[in-house]
Amino acid sequence: MTESMLVYDPTAPSQNEPQQLRRSLEGLRGAVVGFIDNAKPNFQYLVDDVAELLTQKYGVTSIIKRRKRGAAMPAAEDVIDELSRECDLVITGSGD
Amino acid sequence: MSTRLSPNHARLVEAPADLDEFHRYVAERKWGDGLPVIPPTQDRVERMLRHTTREPDDLVAVIAPGFGAATPRRIAINAVMAGCAPELMPVLIAAVEAVAAPEFNLQGIQATTNPVATWIIVNGPIVERLGLNAAFNCLGQGNSGNASLGRALRLVLQNVGSARPGEMDRATQGQPGKYTFCCAENENESPWDPLHVERGIARERGAITVVGAAGTLNMNTHAKDSDDLLRVIADTLEHPTSNDYWIGGEPWIVLSPEHAHILARDGLSKSEVKKRLWERSKMRAGRMAAKDLARTQTGRTAELGPIDENTLLPVSPTPDLIGLVIAGAPGTHSVYVPSFGDTRSVTREVA
Repeated sequence: MTESMLVYDPTAPSQNEPQQLRRSLEGLRGAVVGFIDNAKPNFQYLVDDVAELLTQKYGVTSIIKRRKRGAAMPAAEDVIDELSRECDLVITGSGD
Repeated sequence: MSTRLSPNHARLVEAPADLDEFHRYVAERKWGDGLPVIPPTQDRVERMLRHTTREPDDLVAVIAPGFGAATPRRIAINAVMAGCAPELMPVLIAAVEAVAAPEFNLQGIQATTNPVATWIIVNGPIVERLGLNAAFNCLGQGNSGNASLGRALRLVLQNVGSARPGEMDRATQGQPGKYTFCCAENENESPWDPLHVERGIARERGAITVVGAAGTLNMNTHAKDSDDLLRVIADTLEHPTSNDYWIGGEPWIVLSPEHAHILARDGLSKSEVKKRLWERSKMRAGRMAAKDLARTQTGRTAELGPIDENTLLPVSPTPDLIGLVIAGAPGTHSVYVPSFGDTRSVTREVA
């Protein structure tokens, strides 16, 4: 058997664990859904189609879209405040 | 019954003592950067920790995107692996604190497809005391302090921040500066106040500045007149695929002592150089691809008002955001260091 030595593990556990939702959602009917627009050029096409599906097929009452200044930046505090106050559900990540 | 460890607690594990086998062990766990590392044994980590007054398991910073806890001990572990001398520990702790400042936007830098390296610039008397390189080949190989500091910060970002290539580090190609990217300012050869003094830190104190750097480009010019020199540097900044132009960033220029002295000889202060470069490097927005122009309109209309193809875009929102540092040895070479754009450099005093 090969000789061994004790070394430290250089990694840190990721703290990206799923968080408990603050409030649960029974369904989408009557809900207000928020989107954080990642500021990439095709976002509006994606979100418009999803919004139409959500309102026509799933009974979502309204959609709130708010744009970030850039894709690599976090959303502004006032946007986060508004969406968390007004929405039952917020979609924060999207592709382009 | 298992004991739940605090997220700050660093684990000891059994690893092969044979160096070849240890190299494979590290590679399998993705703990390294591909090059061999020094085994982070307890003795070596303890020697590193003697150079800080901080408690080994206290929190220094939380490192995005994994939000792992960077403690003095974890920083020391990664510093040992990178080959840092123990005396470098306070410099590295300051750099880790700096990258975690919100304006640096580490979350974006770590997870982006862009080739962003974290460049460390060191200032103050610590440069000489620690034997860091500000002159010949200061951005290249050869100096243990420069090489290991930049490398150690990369290992902290990867191991504590969970940014591994192809996983949370989504860089399309990355760049060689992601192995290591560190230099000192050549304060002795600078005609102006050094960077840390410009940012409010006393000249006799040590300091680091971290920059989200998207590469390096040689600017070789034998210009001997300040106006001619500024014209060709400004021309080099302009390029339509630049993050700095479409976001409004913070580009950096490493001026060679020779170029800096030409500008100072003609009576230009550092802030006047920045102002002239900012004015002369404005780029017509129509040079960009249509899709990039659309992004610029989204990102910079609040700053610049309505943008069309004839708008002249400044490289940064204000002239003072052009970073200037003097480094290198004799020669006609300065370096353009474009930034990630969505980032601002951060300066911290070294304790």
